[in-house]
Amino acid sequence: MSDILKVENVTLTFGGVKAITDISFNVKEGEICAVIGPNGAGKSSMLNVINGVYLPQIGTVTYDGVERRSINPRDAAIAGMARTFQNIALFQGMTVLENIMTGRNLFMKSSWLEQGLNIGRARTEEKVNRLAVEKVIKFLQIESIRKTPVSKLPYGLQKRVELGRALVAEPKILLLDEPMAGMNLEEKADMSCFILEINKEQGITTVMIEHDMGVVMDISDHVVVLDYGKKIGDGTPSEVMSNQDVIDAYLGVSH
Amino acid sequence: MIYRETGNFVTNYFKDREIFPLKFDKIIVILGLLILYLYVPTTSEYTLSAHVIPILAVGLATVGLNILTGLTGQLSLGTAGFMCVGAFSTYNLMLRMPEALMSLPVALLFSGIFAGLVGIIFGLPAIRIKGFYLLVSTLAAQYFVWWFFNSYAWFLNYESSGVVAIPPKMYDYWGLGNLLGVDMQGYPARYVLALTVCLALTYFAKNLLRSNTGRNFMSVRDRDIAASVMGISVPRTKLLAFFVSCFYCGVAGGIYSFLYIGNVDLMIYEIDRSFTILFMLIIGGLGSISGSWLGAIFVYEFPIVFTWIGDTIFKGAFNTAVVENVSNMVYGIFIIALLIREPGGFAALWATTKQKLRMWPYPH
Repeated sequence: MSDILKVENVTLTFGGVKAITDISFNVKEGEICAVIGPNGAGKSSMLNVINGVYLPQIGTVTYDGVERRSINPRDAAIAGMARTFQNIALFQGMTVLENIMTGRNLFMKSSWLEQGLNIGRARTEEKVNRLAVEKVIKFLQIESIRKTPVSKLPYGLQKRVELGRALVAEPKILLLDEPMAGMNLEEKADMSCFILEINKEQGITTVMIEHDMGVVMDISDHVVVLDYGKKIGDGTPSEVMSNQDVIDAYLGVSH
Repeated sequence: MIYRETGNFVTNYFKDREIFPLKFDKIIVILGLLILYLYVPTTSEYTLSAHVIPILAVGLATVGLNILTGLTGQLSLGTAGFMCVGAFSTYNLMLRMPEALMSLPVALLFSGIFAGLVGIIFGLPAIRIKGFYLLVSTLAAQYFVWWFFNSYAWFLNYESSGVVAIPPKMYDYWGLGNLLGVDMQGYPARYVLALTVCLALTYFAKNLLRSNTGRNFMSVRDRDIAASVMGISVPRTKLLAFFVSCFYCGVAGGIYSFLYIGNVDLMIYEIDRSFTILFMLIIGGLGSISGSWLGAIFVYEFPIVFTWIGDTIFKGAFNTAVVENVSNMVYGIFIIALLIREPGGFAALWATTKQKLRMWPYPH
C-alpha cells in the first residue's frame, strides 16, 4: 500500500521550547497508526502540524501526494482530513444533531440567501445531508440523544459525538486525539469497536494518539513512539514493544 | 389538554425540521397572523404609533444584533450607528433617486445593504480580535457614523436644525395609496408595511438559524478552532454575520425613522440606543429569535406601563426622571438576575415553563 501521509523532518518550536525535533514517519493508506509517548512528548502538537493548526519551522508534510510545509486547517478539511480533539471541542451551545450536521458543512453548496429564504438547493441539501448524518448517528448508537444539547451529555458520549462529527465529513484520513481518554472499560471497548469498524469497513486511514497500551497494541497496525519531541520508536506493535528505547522511556532507566 | 405533543410522530426528516411541528402551533400562528393583519390596524392611532410600530422597529434591530452577538458571539455596541446608516440611506435614496425607481420598501432594502457594507468594514477587526476587544471596534463604528452624519450636512439636505421631517410624497409607493384609496402616510398603512418587513426578515433569520449558515455562525461562537478544522472559513463567517446583522439594523433604522417618528434625526441614534437594544437582547435571550422579540417588548413597554401605573394608581407621583431611572434599575436587576438564574433569558424561561406545564402535576 502506498503512503497517504508522510511527515518529513518536522521541527516545531514555541519560542525557545522545542516541542517537536526532526520527526519523520509515514502512514500507509488504510492502516491504523498509533502515536504514543509520555505526557509532553509532542503527540498533540504533531497532529496539529499535520492538519495545519500549527506551522512547523522546518520540515514538510506530504499528504495525498502533495508536499507542503503548511496547510490551512480549512484546506486540510477540504482535502479530506478530519479530526477530534484531546479536550473535546464540540460546539457546546448546539444539539448533537446540529453538531454532527456541522461536520457536513463542506457538502452544503447553497448560498446563505437560499438558506435564508429556504428555497431551492437549501431545502434538498438539508434533507440529503440529514440522511448521511442519521447513518452516522445510527452507527454510533446515539439515536436517543440526537436532540440533546451536547453540554448536557456525559464525557464518554461527548467523545462519541465528536467522533461522529469527524466521521460524517467522509474523510480520507481521521486524526483522533486520545479518543479513549477518561473512559471506563466498556466505553473503551465500544470506542475500539467503532474505530476498528471505521477503519476496516469504510477503509478510512486512522492516526490515533492513545495512552492505553492495551488498546494500542490490540488495534493498531503501526505504532510511532515519541519522547521529549523526538521519535524513539517506529514499527509494528510487537517491534515497538521490544524496543529498548521505548522500554526505557516508559519504565525509566536504572542509574 | 388540547396542546400536546404526544401522538405527533414525524415520519421523515423533512417534517422534523419544520418551524412549527405541531398542528396546534400552526393554528395559533395563522390566528396570530389574522389578528396582526386584520385587527391590529383597526386599533387606535395611539396604540399603533406609541406601542406597536416602535416595538417592530427596535425588535428588528434586536434580531439583527442577535445574529451577530447571540449566534456568532461577536459583541457589538454599534447597533444604533448601523440603524443610523439605515435611516440616512433610506432618506437619501428617497430624496435623490428618481421617483419611478424608488419606493419605501425598495429604499429599505438598499439601505439595509448599505448598512451591511458599513458593518463589514467595522467587522474587519473581528477577524483578528475577539470578545471585549471587539467592542472597541463596534464602539468606534457607533461614534464614527454619528460624527460622519453630523459633519456632512449634505446627508440631511442642508437642513440647519439637524432634523428633517419626511415629506409626505415619500410615502407614495408609486401611487398605490390613491389606487387603493388608503392614506399611505397614516399609521395603519405604515404599520402593515413595518409588520410585513419584520415578519419576512424574522422568517429569514429563523431559516438561517436552522440551516448551514446558522450552524456555521454558532460553531464560530462556540469553538472557532474546531470550526476551522472542519472546513468552515472563520473570517468569512464572521464578516457574513456582520453583514446580515447590520442589514437588519439598517432596515430597522429605516423603519424607525420613516414609519415610526416620521423624521430623520441624528439624536435618536446615540449610544444609549445601542445599549437599550443590547439589554433587549440579553433579557430576551441570546441566540433565540423569539426571545429577541420578547425582550424588545419587555424593555420598550416597561417604562410605559410604569408611567401608566404611576398615573392611575399614584395619581402622577412619578415624573419622567423617576420613570427613566427606575426603568434602568429594573433592566439592571433583570439582567443580573437572568445572568445568574437563567442565562438563556426570557426564551429559556418560556421553554422551561412549557416543559413544566407539559409535566404537570408531576415534577419530572
